[in-house]
Amino acid sequence: MSSTFGGIQQATNSIGAARYGLEIVSQNIANASTPGYTRQASQQATVDEVAGVPTLYTKPAGPGGVQITGTARLNDPVLDARSRTEHARSGLADTNAAALSSIESLFPEPSDNGLSEQLNAFWKAWTPVANDPGSQAPRSVLLQRAATVASTLNAMSTSLGDVAASATQSLNQAVDAANSAATQLGNINGQIAVAAATGANANSLMDQRDQLLDQLSTLVGGVATINANGSADVVVGGTSLVSGPTVSAMAFNAGTNTVSVGGTAVTLANGSASANLTTIVTTVPAYQAQLDTVANTLAATVNGGQAAGYDLAGNAGGPLFGGTGAANLSVIITDPTLVAASSTPGGNLDGSNALALSGKGADNTSADALYTRLVGDIGSSTALAKQQQTTQSSVTASVDSLRTSVSGVSYDEEVSNMLTFQRAYQASSRVLTTLDDLLDTLINHTGLVGRS
Amino acid sequence: MRVTESSASYGALAGLQSSAARLASLQAKLSSGKQITAPSDDPSGTVRALQLRGDLQRNTAYTDSATDAIAWMSTSDSAYSQMVTLTQSARTLVVQGLNTGSSTGSSAGAIADQIDALRTSLLSVANTTYNGRPVFGGTTSGSVAYDNGGNYMGDSGTVNRTVGPQATVQINQNGPDVFGPAGGDLFSLLSSISTNLRSNNSTALSGQLADLDTAIGRMSAAQASEGAAYQRVQVAQSSQSSTKLSVTSQLSELQDIDLADIAVQVTTASTNYQAALQTTANIRQLSLLNFLS
Repeated sequence: MSSTFGGIQQATNSIGAARYGLEIVSQNIANASTPGYTRQASQQATVDEVAGVPTLYTKPAGPGGVQITGTARLNDPVLDARSRTEHARSGLADTNAAALSSIESLFPEPSDNGLSEQLNAFWKAWTPVANDPGSQAPRSVLLQRAATVASTLNAMSTSLGDVAASATQSLNQAVDAANSAATQLGNINGQIAVAAATGANANSLMDQRDQLLDQLSTLVGGVATINANGSADVVVGGTSLVSGPTVSAMAFNAGTNTVSVGGTAVTLANGSASANLTTIVTTVPAYQAQLDTVANTLAATVNGGQAAGYDLAGNAGGPLFGGTGAANLSVIITDPTLVAASSTPGGNLDGSNALALSGKGADNTSADALYTRLVGDIGSSTALAKQQQTTQSSVTASVDSLRTSVSGVSYDEEVSNMLTFQRAYQASSRVLTTLDDLLDTLINHTGLVGRS
Repeated sequence: MRVTESSASYGALAGLQSSAARLASLQAKLSSGKQITAPSDDPSGTVRALQLRGDLQRNTAYTDSATDAIAWMSTSDSAYSQMVTLTQSARTLVVQGLNTGSSTGSSAGAIADQIDALRTSLLSVANTTYNGRPVFGGTTSGSVAYDNGGNYMGDSGTVNRTVGPQATVQINQNGPDVFGPAGGDLFSLLSSISTNLRSNNSTALSGQLADLDTAIGRMSAAQASEGAAYQRVQVAQSSQSSTKLSVTSQLSELQDIDLADIAVQVTTASTNYQAALQTTANIRQLSLLNFLS
């Protein structure tokens, strides 16, 4: 038999547990829309019978009531890690698709304004020169068409450079943001370690920790490990960025195009920084080189054709295009009579050299064919990147949805918990009242037999 | 599976966004009228469209050249007809001169004068120009094919027009091919005939009658080969116009939208989007709280 007042103590604990449960419900509802909030639950356990006490005093032992053992943070660490991985891939896919889309927009094909149509117009302009080599007008038109092609190539080359420049800027921003997130994470790691040592509640610190880990994985593909005390370590490209409270600095060297962590050069495999780096180091230079090949092939074809012919005055033709690539291709002859339409010297009205040049655009190795291939390349790369982005976002969204279905707050659930705790509170109060009533009978109404 | 406020909103948002994106992309197609608005819409279609556009431009160049070639050859064709007529008149006059060989010198002189006049006319026809260029002068930059003395001033260059892929047609005949080689040409023949008529040299004249026949034959042959070239250009022209038709329709099939199809798709996508919005708005209002008093 338990002590006389044991029941009162039990009822008090029970009321306290119900009240704490209601507080947690209130906390959950208050933070339902707080980003990164993980729902919590009060943990209760029955109190065991008291051990190590002579049975004389405890037997027969009754129930010991309820006790609050802690506040649980209801997340799924496996899903959290999975979500970070997918976010890192999303960062890569999103940035990659955005970069390729902006490159693609520099090639407005097929349209009447693209380089392809300008090249067509240029080759076509040789025909009137061939048909009427004596007039100035078709020759002037030809030179204008050539100038249009050259300036379009110049502009495309500059714009490609701009894409690389803006990727550099985003990369710098990503590195800065990663450094700031890493510093915060270092601080939080320290606080979590203290909380773990002192037994304080670290749930809100862990929510912040998880948000920073999400940021680091999206930005630079940081891979996180959660330690036993709740602090987190982050590794980028095999080198430690955050280890407990220790934080290394991340940097991007624009000269060598390398990213380093704590002075060690690293290879980024995921995250938006990785996509930006690829844009700067691989994608843009590759397209730039192809564009240069287009420009150089055009210049070589036309200048070669010019050299094989003779101008209106009968002199051997000089080069029409100058420059060393798409960036500086230019038309270097200004006098229309210097167009080498004739294939024989002597200043005659032969147009066969111009006629031969007019057909060069249809060759398999012409600048046109190379440019068409380049546009095809860019189109399929962009289509692939967009496809990957779509697939990756749906994977990421479904993992996020799973993650929030575990850790997110459900109003229905909280309200139903609220009802449960409310009833528990009411019932415990009733138990207390009943016990009080019993004691009242025992104390005030016992032994009064015979009294009036 | 547990459904929470945020997991439900993830799902709803993802669904709404994909509906909206689909609607926007269809809208872009409908407003531009183009199936391919960027190379990534259809990379292989883009490459094909660029090739077809190139074909179309070359086709226009071929057609322009063919038109120009036909104009050139029409000019030279009428010149041929005149020249043959003029030369035949000269032949008639020579026959007449031979028949009246014993007649008075004055009538022979009159015939010789007519021959001289014919020679002048022939020279002027031989200098027929197209667009400022003598059609029988090869690729000369000068303005005449023959000077007043009947000397060839042109060169032996050929004038070609490309009227189709691998179809280059020579559209000119040089003076020596039409009128005979220098020294043996029609103009010196006519001068010599004129001289022989005046000197009443009937032996030489009867020999020159045969030379005149050769000259007429040479001219007719030149006209015939010009006619063959004319025909080639015409064939090329009609084949170019049918090519243009087929290339244009292929291009349109690649690039242009099927208006009815896209319009139906837009309507469907818009209905889907509305339905998604409606259900999201309705379902997300439900909560246990609504049912507790």
